[in-house]
Amino acid sequence: MSEYEKLSICKDAQLTLRKAREDGVETVWDRFKKQEPQCGYCELGVSCRICVMGPCRIDPFGEGPQYGVCGADADIIVARNLARMIAAGAASHSDHGRDLVEVLHKIGEGAAPGYTIRDADKLKRVAAEYGIDTAGLGNEGIAKLLAEAMMEDYGMKKEQITLINRAPKQRIELWKKLKVIPRGIDRETSETMHRTHMGVDNEYVSILLHAVRNSLSDGYGGSMIGTELSDIIFGTPKPGFSEVNLGVLKEDYVNILVHGHSPVVSEMIGVAVDDKEMIELSKSRGAKGINLAGLCCTGNEIMMRKKIPMAGNHLMTELTMVTGVVESMIVDYQCIMPSLGQVAQCYHTKMYTTSDKAKFPFMEHVEFTPVNAREQAFRIVKESVENFSRRNKDKVYVPTAPVRNMTGFSVEAIVGALGGSLTPLIDAIKAGKIKGAVGVVGCNNPKIKQDSGHVELIKRLIANDILVLTTGCVNVAAGKAGLQVPEAKEMAGPGLKEVCGLLNIPPSLHLGSCVDNSRIIVIACALANAIGVDIDKLPLAGAAPEWYSEKAATIAFYAMASGIFTVLGVMPPIMGSKKVAELATSGLNDVFGACFAVEPDPVKAAQLITNHIMEKRKGLGLDV
Amino acid sequence: MKVVVVKPERCVGCLQCRFACSVAHSISGSPYAAPYEAVLSKPRIHIGLTKDKDAFPNKCRHCDPAPCEMACLPKAIFREPSSGMVLINPDRCINCGMCAMACPFGVVRYHVYSSNKTAAHKCDQCIARQKEGRVPACVEVCKVGALLFDDYNKVMDRATDEISSLVYLGIRSKEQEKGPYQSLTAYKHRLEELRRKQA
Repeated sequence: MSEYEKLSICKDAQLTLRKAREDGVETVWDRFKKQEPQCGYCELGVSCRICVMGPCRIDPFGEGPQYGVCGADADIIVARNLARMIAAGAASHSDHGRDLVEVLHKIGEGAAPGYTIRDADKLKRVAAEYGIDTAGLGNEGIAKLLAEAMMEDYGMKKEQITLINRAPKQRIELWKKLKVIPRGIDRETSETMHRTHMGVDNEYVSILLHAVRNSLSDGYGGSMIGTELSDIIFGTPKPGFSEVNLGVLKEDYVNILVHGHSPVVSEMIGVAVDDKEMIELSKSRGAKGINLAGLCCTGNEIMMRKKIPMAGNHLMTELTMVTGVVESMIVDYQCIMPSLGQVAQCYHTKMYTTSDKAKFPFMEHVEFTPVNAREQAFRIVKESVENFSRRNKDKVYVPTAPVRNMTGFSVEAIVGALGGSLTPLIDAIKAGKIKGAVGVVGCNNPKIKQDSGHVELIKRLIANDILVLTTGCVNVAAGKAGLQVPEAKEMAGPGLKEVCGLLNIPPSLHLGSCVDNSRIIVIACALANAIGVDIDKLPLAGAAPEWYSEKAATIAFYAMASGIFTVLGVMPPIMGSKKVAELATSGLNDVFGACFAVEPDPVKAAQLITNHIMEKRKGLGLDV
Repeated sequence: MKVVVVKPERCVGCLQCRFACSVAHSISGSPYAAPYEAVLSKPRIHIGLTKDKDAFPNKCRHCDPAPCEMACLPKAIFREPSSGMVLINPDRCINCGMCAMACPFGVVRYHVYSSNKTAAHKCDQCIARQKEGRVPACVEVCKVGALLFDDYNKVMDRATDEISSLVYLGIRSKEQEKGPYQSLTAYKHRLEELRRKQA
């Protein structure tokens, strides 16, 4: 096994890693190696940097200090750190959602040239959930009122955020009893920061219950708004085919990559690359045309809606430039490694930042607003085309051919494929053809061989007749492994194979970006409501085999709080507190009907999940 | 023979070496599982503090001849012939305290071992890791270069070269002119001075 085969299961990654080494490019794996062994106190969550009486750490071996300077013990320190992690994740998704609320508001005011309402039906449906009287109003009028109602969700005017009502009534009752119903999206994050300031909340259960509320303000708030508004503004995704891996970059085309999370930027770049004048310009420079490809979640957004191919997931972002064929990379925010500008220096790639909240070294800032987005997108695309002539032919290396990937499974699309309701899916679950469903979500992390956690887990789950729903970086992993095409039904168990064959769908469905984990929540809620039970009674589970980010911690928390058992492949920094660790891995079961497990081995994780689903089936009186 | 060389002027007091030492000598060898073992593994490296709050990583020097070994009447302390390390057989230890009194560095402690017996306890230079071709855990984890694993004469050769250049540059110590840590040390010294003045 070559040293590169130890880092990633993907051929394109292995081959470009070799070239990166030859070209003298430092990658995330090199930096990880230099950081090892990593800080044990921080891995256990028992280091505290909250105030400057510290920094403090608790000695988990009992010889050294057992209390921080303020008197906080390991339980308090671990709970505070975890709560802040969840607040950061909720803030990220919710601020992303806020940007879409702003665009919707500007559309309502007629001040967002280039943006429009692409799904008017959904606009009306969501407006109805917000209790907006749409009679006599045009799309713009509804857009303005809906945006304003959503702004209230972000503030402190309401007693509870609106879309929490999508949850089954039993779950809402439970949340009310536990006092974890989110009141305002920003409010809960702000309160987490307040509670974890020195001298505020110092009871670990109380801190963590608020962290649950904060995570719900994301899952049923910021993220859900992000998904719904993206659908309303850019169109609700429909199933179709696209391609994945580094092979989507084309040697004889101008290659432009979009990276980050916000469709507000990538959708507009998509408009500019389709422009005839731009294509003509590229031809005049010796290219055959302009090729747009995505990275990370903004790539997921435009793949879902426009079937734009994806060059890679988190750990591939540096390697895309090593192909030497990327004329420009346009980033917005989240998960963009600060090293990217440095890598671009080794090639001809131009790097652009677009958000005033996300600036990076060695990148040019071209700020996008709802008002100027169209104009800025054309400017960047023009400069990228002009950059084609600077490409160094000696450095060109596209290592693999692309793989087909089916995408576009919004909730609406899934219901559509089932013939208009979830009943056929419920019948298939009852009949045991589909044993259950698992959301496999999350990131890449150099601690785990790239994509190995995702792919092995999905293969084992579908072989056990368990339907898989993917978002985020998992989509690319599953796509590259050929698991997201209808032909992949051959790898599924007999029941799932039959259902996939009937509907002509893959056994692993791509639901979108990481804010689109809200789609999985919406399906879980709809299933529970249709059957008339709470979510924790359903044969469902979640998994984040290669998670790295604070956002993933928040997603895991709102999934758990919704009643979905969740298996993490990477240890969260909580083991320094025996009480918090015990609560997370079993105690929560008595409160929310779901808890966490940590299992880095995908084979064992698949077993844990399958056993859990069979238990839940037994609980519902179904065959196992 | 390679030993752990301490560069106290580089130590930032992060205590990583103590953590890694405990994990390396635990039964599981895992940072997540070690704090859950029935008998907690205690660190064998200690961070001493000067009155100016400068940290000094202090551990068994594996002296030869070793005063602790000479003072040990039941012969629990012995020199392992192949590696030359001074080791403790906890089964023979009678907890008399003679080794601790004899140790010029004050690095002997008395702790419960996983066998449930209390006995003298000190650095074994990670003899088990060395057999696997790995450096001692404290050295591996030290990111600031305060702990090195090397042959003493080689370290001194390098120091000689370094000193030569410094002498020619007229600078007493490289460490004094660079690095943000230097200003933190200076700040700590000022704070300590102020505290003494106020007292």
